[in-house]
Amino acid sequence: MRKRHILFIGLLAALLMALLFSFHAGTEGEAPASQAAQAAAVDSSSCVYPKEYMHTHHMQVLEDWKNTAAHEGPDAVHETADGRKLQKNLSTCLACHGSNRYFCFSCHAYANAQPNCWNCHISPLETP
Amino acid sequence: MMKNDRREFIRKAGMGLLAGMGAASGLLTGGGFERTTSAAWAAVPGEEGLRWGMLFDTRRCPEGCTLCIESCHHTHNVPDIASLEGKIEWMHKENGRELLGSLCASTAAVPALCNHCAEPSCARACPTGSIFRRTDGIVAIDYHRCVGCRSCMQSCPYGEVSFNWSDPRAALKNPTVEYPTRQRGVVEKCNFCSDRLVRGKKPSCVEACPEGAISFGNLNDPSSEIRRLLESSETLQRKPELGTRPSVFYII
Repeated sequence: MRKRHILFIGLLAALLMALLFSFHAGTEGEAPASQAAQAAAVDSSSCVYPKEYMHTHHMQVLEDWKNTAAHEGPDAVHETADGRKLQKNLSTCLACHGSNRYFCFSCHAYANAQPNCWNCHISPLETP
Repeated sequence: MMKNDRREFIRKAGMGLLAGMGAASGLLTGGGFERTTSAAWAAVPGEEGLRWGMLFDTRRCPEGCTLCIESCHHTHNVPDIASLEGKIEWMHKENGRELLGSLCASTAAVPALCNHCAEPSCARACPTGSIFRRTDGIVAIDYHRCVGCRSCMQSCPYGEVSFNWSDPRAALKNPTVEYPTRQRGVVEKCNFCSDRLVRGKKPSCVEACPEGAISFGNLNDPSSEIRRLLESSETLQRKPELGTRPSVFYII
């Protein structure tokens, strides 16, 4: 009789261990939310620089972003003079200016400027 | 009698030899030459912090399913080019034995992508510095700077870099507006979804997998899900003997 008891206790322990393991394997699915590179909150209530400066110097700003953004990776954040933080990305510009499909093209066509942005970036003119 | 003894001796000695060889091969390869040890993910002094890594549980990866690949290629505007030379792939499925070596028991197709090595040979080979390792462990390409020399393709031991022989726009049917395409004459490869991470999202393959077979997380964080899995299971890496320290792991 005693031997049987001991056997049962052993079986129970084995069962518990198996359960524990199965639970352990089951926890894989739910992952903690990725502690993603701290994205700069898109604050685009006004432009990166004052309008007048952007009229004459937007190409320098974009050139700087183009050269530095990829290499800075998660830290590719532009801080404006009034402390707003913007992701160095053409889509940051297009978040506002994309609403007017001809925003870039009307001037560039007039000035015969042919930047190669749209070789890769999808221009507002190409979006449906 | 004499003849029988000799035969018996040879038989026994032969069996002993076979057993010895079996044990030796078991001890030598089974001892973990290719199998991942904690050294594969432990932070090297001076590079603590964030290091993104990915783990495929191939036991959960269904045969013939390509949802991860489709989702990856759609979100990143990877063109669908049929020709073998012109083919562009950020992610693909390959025979597990060919991918992971003889320790991989199954020959079923296993997903493969850029390994985002801690010691990337592609970054060493790039003459313009357009392929580089970011501070979060992602090996990224600056497409603006790439001159299309294909040194990275030659140096990558995993063959995970593709070259745009033709204009990829022509082969794109339904582009994703949020992500740029590439142009003719640059290389491209998986970016570990750095564009999605910056928005606090998980990589698109992880989200697309219906079986939850792909885990993604910080390899340097002992409490992350991927670290728990790495510590609790036997994992493999692709060609770990080369010392590139890949950040992609496989449970077979």
